[in-house]
Amino acid sequence: MFADLGNASVYLALVATLYSVVVMGVAQWVPAIQPSTKAKLVSSGRNAAIAVFPLIVLSCVILTLALVNDDYSINYVRQVTSRATPIQFKITALWGGQAGSLLLWNLFLAGFLAAAWISKSEERDLIPYAVIIGGLTQTYFLYLSAFPENPFAPAASVALDGNGLSPLLRHPLMIIHPPMLYLGYTGFVVPYCFAMAALLAGRLDDSWIRTTRRWTLTAWLFLSLGLILGGRWAYDVLGWGGYWEWDPVENVAFIPWLTGTAFLHSVMIQEKRGMFKVWNVILILTTYLTVIYGTFIVRTGLLASVHAFAQSDIQWGFLVFVGFMLLFSIGVAVWRAPELRSENYLESLLSREAAFLANNFIILAITVIIFLFTNFALVSEWITCSALFSSFDCQSYGVGPDTYNAALGPLFAALLLLMGVAPMTMWYKTSIQRLGSQSLWPAVAATVFAIALVIGGMRQIGAVIGLWVVAFSLLLTLLEYVKGAQARVKSKQEGWLTALGKLFQRNQRRYGGYFIHLGVLVMAAGIIGTEFFQAEHQVFLNVGDRATLGDYTIEYLGTSFTQSEDTNSAIGSVAVYDQDGTFLTNLQPHTDIFDNGQGMTIPDARSTIAEDFYVILVNWENISATSATIRMYLNPLIQWVWSGGVIFIIGTLIAAWPDEMDEKIAAAERRVALATVNNR
Amino acid sequence: MADSTWTRNERELLQPAPRKKWQFLLAAALLVVAVVFVAFNALNAGGTQLYLTVEEYLEKEPELADRDVRIAGWVVGDSIEYTQIDAENSMLTFDVVDDLANPTQRIKVYAKNEPKPDLLQHEAQALVEGRAGAPGEFVSNPGGLLLKCPTRYEEADGEPSY
Repeated sequence: MFADLGNASVYLALVATLYSVVVMGVAQWVPAIQPSTKAKLVSSGRNAAIAVFPLIVLSCVILTLALVNDDYSINYVRQVTSRATPIQFKITALWGGQAGSLLLWNLFLAGFLAAAWISKSEERDLIPYAVIIGGLTQTYFLYLSAFPENPFAPAASVALDGNGLSPLLRHPLMIIHPPMLYLGYTGFVVPYCFAMAALLAGRLDDSWIRTTRRWTLTAWLFLSLGLILGGRWAYDVLGWGGYWEWDPVENVAFIPWLTGTAFLHSVMIQEKRGMFKVWNVILILTTYLTVIYGTFIVRTGLLASVHAFAQSDIQWGFLVFVGFMLLFSIGVAVWRAPELRSENYLESLLSREAAFLANNFIILAITVIIFLFTNFALVSEWITCSALFSSFDCQSYGVGPDTYNAALGPLFAALLLLMGVAPMTMWYKTSIQRLGSQSLWPAVAATVFAIALVIGGMRQIGAVIGLWVVAFSLLLTLLEYVKGAQARVKSKQEGWLTALGKLFQRNQRRYGGYFIHLGVLVMAAGIIGTEFFQAEHQVFLNVGDRATLGDYTIEYLGTSFTQSEDTNSAIGSVAVYDQDGTFLTNLQPHTDIFDNGQGMTIPDARSTIAEDFYVILVNWENISATSATIRMYLNPLIQWVWSGGVIFIIGTLIAAWPDEMDEKIAAAERRVALATVNNR
Repeated sequence: MADSTWTRNERELLQPAPRKKWQFLLAAALLVVAVVFVAFNALNAGGTQLYLTVEEYLEKEPELADRDVRIAGWVVGDSIEYTQIDAENSMLTFDVVDDLANPTQRIKVYAKNEPKPDLLQHEAQALVEGRAGAPGEFVSNPGGLLLKCPTRYEEADGEPSY
């Protein structure tokens, strides 16, 4: 009964989406329709598109109820929960498997689209086209939920209990991380819809770019949160002391984030100087296509990854969909390209425009390298196994993390450098003298810092250069705040704190953006610390034995065992001392074994701003409580990664907050553009 | 059209001189060359890994000495052993096969001083980065033992994904 209702709501959502696409298509492209009929059709199509969201909400509620009530007549429920699963994890099991997480993907997409169709009344002329584009995407994903990946499909046999949720998903961060990623992915569909709608409608003014920028920033915020939380989850749960492995699933989430970042920068040039119009369209299309590509990779298991996927039969359908959207997007962009000419030209290599262009170029280079490396196994197999290259041994080759780091390290360093230098540049042209005078003291200070590092014993040239770049850009960015506040202190007679607050208030995009840069630079320092200086040591200890790593010494105190509803836990206890023998803390790394036999090793760490001393209990089950194998990690500056992430998110919230002045400019541009289109 | 707000003369006035166009093209070309150099240099320095199934590995084993290889296979549960050799050294061993129902060909994986991953259990899919050892044996690189993380998606039965 429950399953039938859930199914019905998914099917109805699919029908409503198809209806909205067809009706909007008729309204826009059938010439004989009267204006009054057209208005009715557009209104009906819009309402149908909005109705998709409550229908999917209903199906999600029904599936959640089925999960909570252990309805094992539904195959999905049987796969991802068990009677012993705590209720909060029964709820989060909604995205614990392929079919459920696709339904959630549909929910978020429908939510974003409905919000766009409701709130964008001022973009009324673009809505019909945008509904068609959004509807095409939603139709494909609803088709997946309705047919090949139906979460309400009945179980093949009767079962009294289910398989249970993977223990690695039973973690608070895993409750938040996947939804944030999905929100990021699906959020990027909205700017694509408006961009395509603007191209189809011939509304090639800059107002659509403002609308698109806001939606892009929203999606970018969620995707950033998803990426940061995913890294933190890996660090807290997987017990390998790391947070990023250049795994295909990580990479395909990072790629749209990169192209979205490039767009958020280059869009400023279009707004200020009417340049890079074609480029911005390409970036929006690329971001959307990489979202679909990422979903394709994650959902089909086409690339070998440490993340497990259902290797279902949806590969070909996905390929057809991706191919269609790719050709459609390119076709529309090429058709309108002649009308998207720049209003201005680059005048100097030393200008804000050129700095943004360089930023875009480096981000694009990073994106292309990650894309190629991620797909290296597929491409190498395709080339070596094709008839054209019959002399090669048919083989698949992959690229490991070291190769990614070697290729991307210099590019990321260049990007960080630009992050500091670009804000000093002026529009049109900047003199080399101005750049030199403004960057002299930060450069001197950063160099003194780097020399101090070398004198202190740092010998890794990559780390020294990286930290020099971070220090230099960090100082330049902080100086931007100082200069801005200083100007207000002088001209408005304000106090420093008030002036700083007003800076954000008056120009939240600019100073929020710099805050994002600060977050990235702090994260970069943390990444350099962990990448270059992580140390580890594994040792077998009897109670009372001691072992040392870096400045830390541990003493094994014993292992205790506890039992809860569906979990047996072995809890190790180690005392941590500093190099002088002063007691610092007790750490309790533990291993939980769940009823279904799966285990989860949870590390414990002593965290300071300088480093994490991170300890895991290894292979506890084959040893007695009087001895244990302990693995220790020293992760320098790891807290900078997480702190930088928090600064980054705060900066994004500041930059994304609705800006009254921006709204007024966009409204004025829309009026001018509509008048221009109507007069043609 | 926004473009119509600009007259031809205004656009021409703002157009860079030919010498500047060359500067931009040269700068762009240099950047492209730098990026291609960085990517190829990294591929040469870091190398590429050969991705192999158990059957492919056993076929090519004699040619694989000192070659960085990643093998994929299903873990045979009753072959998993963790031995604490002394206070500083441990050895984790287990077998991987292409087909658990018909495990005729298998590779014994050796991982020195590695913690036993939570996901190392019967029917888990292992991706192991390392080098060829004695015949039929494979030595994992430090940190090279990767077990598929069943994040959000249930694993379907079938071949390891290469």
